[in-house]
Amino acid sequence: MNTENANPVTIVMIEDDEGHARLIERNIRRAGVTNDIVPLASGHAALEYLLGEDESGSVHSKRALLILLDLNLPDMSGVDILQKIKTNAHIKRSPVVVLTTTDDEREIQRCYDQGANVYITKPVNYESFANAIRQLGLFVAVMQVPAAE
Amino acid sequence: MTAQSLGLNTFQSTMLLFAGGALLLLILVISSFKLSSETEAQAAEIAKQRLVRVAARNTSFGLLNAETGQRGFLLTGEEIYLEPYYLGSKEAKKRLDDLTAQASDPSDLERMAIIAPVVGKKLAEMEQTIALAKSGKRDEALKILASDAGLQYMGALQDNLEAISARADRAVEQGLQNLSASANRLTLTTTIGSLLVASFASLAFYIVANNTGKLQSARQSLQTLTDELEERVKDRTEALTEANEEIQRFAYIVSHDLRAPLVNIMGFTSELETASNKLAGYFSRTALDVDEQTAASIAVEDIPESVGFIRKSSVKMDGLIGAILKLSREGRRELKRERVQLDDVVETSLASLQHQIEAAGVAVDVEPSLPSVVSDRLALGQVVGNILDNAVKYLAPGRPGVISITSEESGGRVKLRIADNGRGIAEKDLTRIFDLFRRAGKPDRPGEGIGLAHVRSLVRVLGGDVTVASKLGEGTTFTVDLPKKMSGQNPSNKEQTA
Repeated sequence: MNTENANPVTIVMIEDDEGHARLIERNIRRAGVTNDIVPLASGHAALEYLLGEDESGSVHSKRALLILLDLNLPDMSGVDILQKIKTNAHIKRSPVVVLTTTDDEREIQRCYDQGANVYITKPVNYESFANAIRQLGLFVAVMQVPAAE
Repeated sequence: MTAQSLGLNTFQSTMLLFAGGALLLLILVISSFKLSSETEAQAAEIAKQRLVRVAARNTSFGLLNAETGQRGFLLTGEEIYLEPYYLGSKEAKKRLDDLTAQASDPSDLERMAIIAPVVGKKLAEMEQTIALAKSGKRDEALKILASDAGLQYMGALQDNLEAISARADRAVEQGLQNLSASANRLTLTTTIGSLLVASFASLAFYIVANNTGKLQSARQSLQTLTDELEERVKDRTEALTEANEEIQRFAYIVSHDLRAPLVNIMGFTSELETASNKLAGYFSRTALDVDEQTAASIAVEDIPESVGFIRKSSVKMDGLIGAILKLSREGRRELKRERVQLDDVVETSLASLQHQIEAAGVAVDVEPSLPSVVSDRLALGQVVGNILDNAVKYLAPGRPGVISITSEESGGRVKLRIADNGRGIAEKDLTRIFDLFRRAGKPDRPGEGIGLAHVRSLVRVLGGDVTVASKLGEGTTFTVDLPKKMSGQNPSNKEQTA
């Protein structure tokens, strides 16, 4: 990770499936990424964490976040969360990686339209899946993430 | 209405009524004509009887005048009396001629037969006496006069002429009565006829007006019914479209949601495999006693075998879910209407199968210049490709394959027939081959049971149908029935919410 950064990037993982969360975490770690990973299992928990108690997002001021977002959440659509992130003054610059099973073209378009930075379809084949996550880990290791305002 | 109880319809009863009116009018005209001509005849008869009466009277007057003149002359010898005599006899002759001409009644004719000679005799007697008196033989003339023959003649003449006159009078009177009766009849007939015609006309008018009213209200209710029906068809179509969309969405959501746990099963299976491999390596190196060797064999053989089955099943399940997803996506894909040459579609499909066709030595016979349709090129390509793929795949053992592609056009539809001489399909399997994940015959060829389900789903989306005819061991013919012009309405393309 970027050692010069005073605030190392926190990876926020919004994923309702515990198994997926565990597999993602393991493979990110295998890529040598040691950053904090905050797992959130529902849309409400995610919004609570991202926006803080005052729902302004100022709680993450000066912090660098990388958000991994699953679209199929039980309590709300991931697209709604994406919209809330990208319209929030504090955290709108945080990169959002949509990581989901949906490979529907319209859905992918919609996410990019809403400001998603990367869209990755979870491969069912585990070798491909593990490979994709590890590559994402390598990508995270070299990318610059701006701090929230 | 009685016409209706007779089983006549409104048109028939109206026509019947008009015909009745026309007949009545005709009868009226004929009877009026007859009655008026009868009246005319009666008037003519009356006129004639009057003439007879006048002639009889005047004959009588003429004779009386002539006799008076004769007597006067004979008594006085004065020439002055000769004038009435001449005039009277002239009048009597003339009127007798008239009477002879006019008389037609049998009793008149009988009397005329008596009168005519007597008049002649009377006139002759008078002429004779006057001639005698003129020649100075007055005594002789008076003697003739005294014989009373003239008086007898005159009496007979007066009686008969009076009788004729009286009969004519009676006839005139009778005629006048008849005439009056006829006139009354004519008036009555005309009045009744007019009333009948008027009532027929009113009845006809009433029926026509009534029917027109009924017709109008019937038309109105028909229109209402049609509108309602159209509305209902629209509602049903909407409901069906919605139901279909829901099934599509359901398939899409299910297949997506089934994938999530599958990722875990496959993921942790791999994790387990990696872990067990490490354990197996460790155990096989360090196993000392029998217990440890048993554990080692579990790690080396049993666990990898179990993991292998889990992995294989997961892969298969992934394939099945993928197929459902593909089908549901086909149903949601936006179709592109364009003119498609079936020649091109067949050629492209054959080209992509070229390798298999050559390897199996299959002869393909395509009808020259297949028709063109307005449809979705991609979907058609997949339909033809899948059917041809099956034809090449399921050849009869020991018989070189022959595939023939023909077409038939009729009534805005195009039938594309793809026939092979392959191994065929048993009759009991004919309905299930189009079902998803179902296959027919010996499963000695690779396949998932997806192709034909896909074909049917695609053809239906294109507004067509696909049927199969086959004989086990002899060959199979697939018939794709397509509209020549696919309707502009696309299936649902609503954004999915999965």
